[in-house]
Amino acid sequence: MSPRFRIALLALAGLVLLPAAARVIAALPPFGSTIALYGERINAVTPEARHVANMVSAINFDLRGLDTLGEEFMLLAAITGTVVLLRGRRGEGTTERAMRLPGRAVIPRSEAVVLGCRIAGPLTCLFGLYVVLHATVTPGGGFQGGVILASGTLLIYLGEGYAGWRDSIRSHWLDALEGGGALLFALCGLAPMLTGAAFMQNILPLGTFRDLFSGGLMLVENLGVALAVTGGFTQLFLEFMEETREAEEPDEPGEESA
Amino acid sequence: MSVLPYAVAAWLFGVGLYGIATSRNFIHLVGCLGVCQSATYVLLLGLGYRWGSIAPIFYDHPPGTPAVDPVMQALVLTDIVVGATLTALLLVLTVQAHKRGGSLDPEKLRPMRAGGKSGRSQGSSRVDEPARGSR
Repeated sequence: MSPRFRIALLALAGLVLLPAAARVIAALPPFGSTIALYGERINAVTPEARHVANMVSAINFDLRGLDTLGEEFMLLAAITGTVVLLRGRRGEGTTERAMRLPGRAVIPRSEAVVLGCRIAGPLTCLFGLYVVLHATVTPGGGFQGGVILASGTLLIYLGEGYAGWRDSIRSHWLDALEGGGALLFALCGLAPMLTGAAFMQNILPLGTFRDLFSGGLMLVENLGVALAVTGGFTQLFLEFMEETREAEEPDEPGEESA
Repeated sequence: MSVLPYAVAAWLFGVGLYGIATSRNFIHLVGCLGVCQSATYVLLLGLGYRWGSIAPIFYDHPPGTPAVDPVMQALVLTDIVVGATLTALLLVLTVQAHKRGGSLDPEKLRPMRAGGKSGRSQGSSRVDEPARGSR
């Protein structure tokens, strides 16, 4: 397909779709006038019913917890795919030699960067933990906090270099974190069924409104999500970083799988 | 003025789609997909917004204060997380395509053919085999 043909095809598809899209947009409620009734009811009922202040967490972990379970496994599948596709011989050792273009200067890490990372790294992880733990109270939760925690581990790489990073981050720990987090979330759904309750029914004591311990089962699910997201995203960083290493022997995964 | 957020969403989706259709580089293509996806964030948040409402977190404000739609915000959160991992997966496929075919240009790659090496040598002349070229 030539580029011109592709644009023509796109224009044709646009011509067909635009009138339909315009009709849908015209039928949407005017911006800022009203919100859907479902969200309105959740806002009205949930603080009382679940003792949580953060409605977004309440939806993710309780009201629509089943959807989050699906999302959790989507995450797991995407990361598994990444790992399966990238895993080769490259980067398994903790070599400091990165692949580099010939002739490009190697700039050593400056002391300011090392100091900055050593200060910012623990602070970032602390902030990540704070965001994870306050899921049901203030804006935050396992997804957001997990990503912050994972980026905290990247600061180790920035400050200590590849070898130091590989020493502190173990790949099989990440596997366990990610799989364990997803398992914990699934078990949170199944465990209430042992007591005769429905799937993912919130059977734990709900705690006090606006307190760290509020939301009951949500706290456990939130922890599972945080573990899975931290492990998963760090695993992603690790796999991509391995690609930058110089291979001990030339590897061509495409040749083997072909 | 009230259609502005929807127009922004449509425009973002349009430019992203145009970028995908005309892309000559897989990394650029993944970026364009990200632009398309951000259109969904704007659309969802725009749908859930209401003037004079607070964020759906009743910590500083008592429950019962008018708040925006929390369902849309939860959807956007889901969207972002899954989008990030899928971007990673697509970039991995890009890495592997480059390893096999030696190019990031979709035009130069011949998918579904064993042995990326031959694709690289013939990729520059695109009129090599009429039977395959006419497909």
